[in-house]
Formats: sequence, C-alpha cells, structure tokens
Amino acid sequence: MFAKSIRWRMQLWQAFLLVCILSGFGVTAFQLQRTNWLRQVDEELERRVAVLSEDVRGPGPLRPPQGRSPFGPEPGFDRRHPFESGFDAGPPLEPGPGFGPGRRPRPEPRGPWIPPDEWPEPKDVQLSEKALSLFGSVEPGDYFYSIWSRSGVLLKRSTNAPPELALPERSEGDTRILARMREWHREAWHFTEMGDCVLAGRSIRADLEGMRRLAGLLALAGAGVLALGLGGGWLLAGRALRPVDEISAAASRISVGNLSERINMAETDSELGRLAAVLNSTFARLEAAFAAQQQFVADASHELRTPVAVMIAEAQSTLARPRAAGEYRETIETCLETAQQMRHLTEQLLQLARFDAGQELLQREPFDLAEAVQTAVDRVRPLASERGIAIQCDLERSRARGDTERILQVAVNLLSNAIRFNREGGAIRVRCSVENGAAVFSVADTGIGIAEADLGHIFERFYRADEARAGAGGGTGLGLAISQAIVAAHGGSIAVTSRAGEGTEFVVRLPAGAPAAPQSGAPDQA
Amino acid sequence: MRILVVEDEPHLLRSLAKALREEDYAVDTAAAGDEGLFKVESCDYDAVVLDVMLPGMDGWQLLERLRRSKLTPVLMLTARDAIRDRVRGLDTGADDYLVKPFDLSELLARVRALIRRGAGKPCPRIELGEVAIDLRSRTVTRAGQPVSMTAREYAILEYLAYHRGEVVTRTALYEHLMDESDDTLSNLVDVHVFGIRKKLGADLITTRRGQGYCIGP
Repeated sequence: MFAKSIRWRMQLWQAFLLVCILSGFGVTAFQLQRTNWLRQVDEELERRVAVLSEDVRGPGPLRPPQGRSPFGPEPGFDRRHPFESGFDAGPPLEPGPGFGPGRRPRPEPRGPWIPPDEWPEPKDVQLSEKALSLFGSVEPGDYFYSIWSRSGVLLKRSTNAPPELALPERSEGDTRILARMREWHREAWHFTEMGDCVLAGRSIRADLEGMRRLAGLLALAGAGVLALGLGGGWLLAGRALRPVDEISAAASRISVGNLSERINMAETDSELGRLAAVLNSTFARLEAAFAAQQQFVADASHELRTPVAVMIAEAQSTLARPRAAGEYRETIETCLETAQQMRHLTEQLLQLARFDAGQELLQREPFDLAEAVQTAVDRVRPLASERGIAIQCDLERSRARGDTERILQVAVNLLSNAIRFNREGGAIRVRCSVENGAAVFSVADTGIGIAEADLGHIFERFYRADEARAGAGGGTGLGLAISQAIVAAHGGSIAVTSRAGEGTEFVVRLPAGAPAAPQSGAPDQA
Repeated sequence: MRILVVEDEPHLLRSLAKALREEDYAVDTAAAGDEGLFKVESCDYDAVVLDVMLPGMDGWQLLERLRRSKLTPVLMLTARDAIRDRVRGLDTGADDYLVKPFDLSELLARVRALIRRGAGKPCPRIELGEVAIDLRSRTVTRAGQPVSMTAREYAILEYLAYHRGEVVTRTALYEHLMDESDDTLSNLVDVHVFGIRKKLGADLITTRRGQGYCIGP
C-alpha cells in the first residue's frame, strides 16, 4: 500500500535526495573549515620552525663559493642549492597543508664554505630574542619547541613541551618542513642541512573540540532542515495530489445510473484540470453512446411489441367464442404474416448488431457493380410492374471490390424503397458508372420525396418519416441504416438528395476494385 | 356504447375492432392521427382507444387537441413502457394506460371501467327497482330471475341506465349505439324499446313525446 502510493514514493525520494544534499554540503563545509584552520596552524608552526632553524645554524662558516650557483646571485629570494643558501624551504612541504615554498628573506652570507659533514656539532643553542618572543608564554595552547643535535641529543626544549615528545623519524637528505598530528598536538619539524632537528608544536585540543562542536552543529542543522523539508514535502505532495483523489472519487461516482455527472475542477489550466477535461469528454461520449444504445433497445422492443400485440389480440379474440373455419383460417394467416414480419425485423436487428460488433464478415472480391445492380432490378421488377412503375436502366460496367451479396442487398433495399414511395405509374431511373476512380450507382424515383426535416434522419435506426409510416406497411425502419452500415464497411459512402413531392435520389459510391485488371481483362468475371 | 379505436397497425386495428364489436360496442376506427382527431371531434364517443405512435399526428398531440374541448375517456396504447412515457401519457390527459403487448381481456375490462367512470357510475351493477343490470357479464335480472335480451336491447337499456334521470334523445341513442357503418332505420329504436318494456315491465322506460326516452324519476 505505502510502496504503491505516489505520495509515499515521492516522500521517500525526497528524503533520499535531501539526505544526499545535506550530508554532502555538511561534510564539504566541515572539511573546508578544518583544512583552512590546519593551514593557519601550520603556517604559524612553519614560521617558528624557520626562526628556530636560523638560531640553530648560527653564524657558521657558510660561505658559498663564487660561481657555484647555477642561478647566480639573485636579489630578494634565495633560490640556490640548499647547501649554498642559509636556509631553504625547498620543495613544497608535505604532508601538512599550507607549507608553501619558503619565502623568507635571504640570510646574510657567512664565512667560508665548509662541507656539512665537517661542520662542528653544536653543544648548545642560543635562541635569539625573536625566537624567544615567539615561544614566550607557557599557557596551554601556546607554542612549544624542541631542538635535537645531529646525533639525536636534546639540545633545548621549552618548558611547556610535552614530556613524551621524541625525536621524529629522520629521512636522509630531506630538509623539508614536515608536519604531523600527534594526539592533541600539531607539530612541525625540520632537519637542517647539518642534520640538526628543529621542532615546533602546539596543543590543538581546544581547536579540535571546537571543530567537533562545529560538526555537531552542522549535523543538528542538517537534521532540522531534513525534517522541515520532509514535512513541507509531505504537505505539498498532499496538496498536489488532492485533486487526483477528487477526480477518482468523482469518476467512481459516475456509473450507468448517473452518466450525466461530471468531474468538477476549479482549475482548468493545470495538468490535472486537463486530465479532468479529458475524462469529462470521455464520459460525455460514453453517455451519448449509452443513450444511443438505450434508444436503440427501446426502439427495437417497441418494434417487436407491436407484432406481438397483434398476435395476442388476434388469437385471444378468436378463441373467445366458437368460430367458423374461415375465421380461424383468417386468424392464423394474420398470425403467420405478423410472425414473418417479426422474423424479418429480428434478422435485420441481428445484422445490425453484427455490424456494430464488427463481426459481419465481408468478402473482398472484385465484382461488376453493374451486374449486381441488374440482378437487383430483375428481382424487384415484378413488384414495380404491379404498381405500374417503369424502371429505366443506364448501367455502365464498373468494377468494384467488396461483397456482391451485401451490395445486392443495398441495391434491392434502395429499389424497393423507390417502388414503395413512388406514385402509381411513376418511374425509377437506375444508373451505374465510374466517377473519379469510384464505382457509383444511383437510384432516382419520382415518388413522394422526403421532407427536409426528415432528410438528416433517414439513416437513423427505426427512423421513419410520417409519410413512410402512412405509406405501404411492412417497413421496419432499419433498411437504410443497414444499407449505410454495409456501404460504410466497404469504405464507401451513401448520399441522398430529395425534393418533397418530386422524388428522391440515392447515390452509392464504392471504392473501385482491381485497377490493374480493368474491364477488358476479365469481362466475364462475376 | 360507441368507441373509437385509433391504431396504425392494420392487423391490430382490425382485431381490436372485432373484439370490441363482439362485446356489443359500436366501434369506429381510424388509422392515422389526423383522421382520429376529426372523428373524435365530430362525434361524442363513450371511450377512445388511442395508440401513441401514429402517422399524421401522434397520440400525444391528438390527446392534447381533444382535451381542449371534450372529456371523452381515453385509453392510451403504447409499446413504450418507460415510466416517463406513462407519466407523460397520464399527465397529458389520458385516463388509463396500457402497454403493448396487452391481454385482450384486460383491454376490455379497462374499456368497461372507463365507460363506467365516464358516466359517473363506477359500480359495475346498476339497480332500477326490481331490475338489476350486471355491467360486467352484460346480463339483466328482474326480481332475481335472469332475463334474456338481444344485444341491441341490452345496449339501449345500459345507455339509458347510465343516464338515469336524464332524457335521452333518439339521436343520442343512434349516435352512441351504432357505429359509422351501421345503416339502421330510425324506428328500430322504438322496436327495441318495445321489446325491453315487454320483458322488464312497461313503466321502466317512460317516453317523453317529442324528446326521447328516460329511466327513473
């Protein structure tokens, strides 16, 4: 349930992202602060180591020989070989950060040059005023120092130096200033070119505790921001998703009973408003389809009830008393006729239902439309001559593709309408031709015509104009609807033009069949 | 009693007319709405059986036009059984409503009830002193003894009994007892009245000379 709810999923993703962002931010901020602080400490220590180193070396007999320098004398900064210079910071300081290249004033040149091995080992170190002022205090957190001779003998150390402080590990020839963290102390040291070791350090306990407090504060602030973010996100998600709940509630209220209900959305321009609009239009179409279906069912039951009423009334009134044989015969004939009417109606209803369901299987074969129309004309000719109606044919060979039987059904339907709604002694004109690549046939009569108000409805199921109702009976009101369904299933169209009192013309267009095999190719093919 | 049947389905119209005639009603028929309206406006029917779906003018319109001038009882016949159709029918002024397919005996019973109510005699039995008319079985008794009567005699007696206390003219009797296809001589009513007096007593029906007949005070 929770894992499937969008709100919960959004919440989880938000929590994940917030934790990532906040922890990334906190760790970075803490690291930057710590690095910065360490660099400051190291710079201070480095300065002190440099001052001490000068004192340790003393005014030794260091006189660089002329011309030894690859760079030559240079004002300002000492870039010479360490052996030639008084003191050189050398390459970048490692591992502690902040040990930039030594930038100290160049020391005064002293005495003649003596190789380092031959330098006398100092027995004692006299610290200069400057150095002493740097290690003046004994308060904790202040700086301490320790100096060892080349052979590892402790020469001097400040009183506040921690007692366990030992000579750092020595690496041969390395004269860089190095730094280390040892318990609560930060220490920097340096082996002079003569091999003496100078170390400066300070207790950083208070600073480390400060850093730890900073870390705690950062974590606390992060947690607060996380909680606020999650709470806000939860509320926002709820707000954003509330319309979804409203939509689903409204949609679930809409059922067969109240299809006319719609989703009521205040905001129509938002994404959810558009969703609601789309759903509403879907419901509208559903309602219309449902209403049409209901109308059809009501009409169908209406059409079936009347013949049933005839049969019941006829049978009951005949059975009410003894009758002569002729009367019984009459009743049975009426019942039979009515039953046949019902059979015709149910067949038509079934055919329409099959078209609606897309189950009516149509042949897709090329056939001669003129031939099919001619067959239909032959079939209705007796009916026409009964009413003295002349059928005039103008049939041009035209190939169409489709189901001959169904097209024949359309033609017979149109022709029998033309006969039924014609006047006595009227005429029917049937034409068949090829127009714009379509096979076309038309049936025009000189009958009662169709009123303009009815013209738009005649293809509707069970629609019958008053004239059609009053005219020759037996029409089910489905013939034109079926004809239209058949033509539409062929990908064709059926159109009607009519003038009340003058006549009606139906024009059926069907897609032409087999353009590659024209009339001349297979003239006898059915 | 004269009844108009308006129905466009020819078979149904024919069998309804036949069944009603066999009940000794005078029956006129119409196959379209406008024809029905013309007939109903030109003659006083005792009841109208009216289909809803009609060419020319549908049953609703006919009923509306009829109700502007007449109170003739109307039984609507329809194949639509939706409740709103029935409500509409009754609200437009129909007195009763029957859904197709119906039972013939029910239709006949409803027509009888309509005629009784239209005449203000909802009881299916009318007593005139020692003579009693059973409107349901269409039989007459005198002092408890059944009296056999012809259809015409019964129809005249029934009509006069429905209009007890009123003077009924010969024209009214003709109009209500004979349908449009009947072609009877006028003095035949007198012959039937004579027959009734012979069977039920001379003082049951009084003759108001120059006006018509009357039952009762």
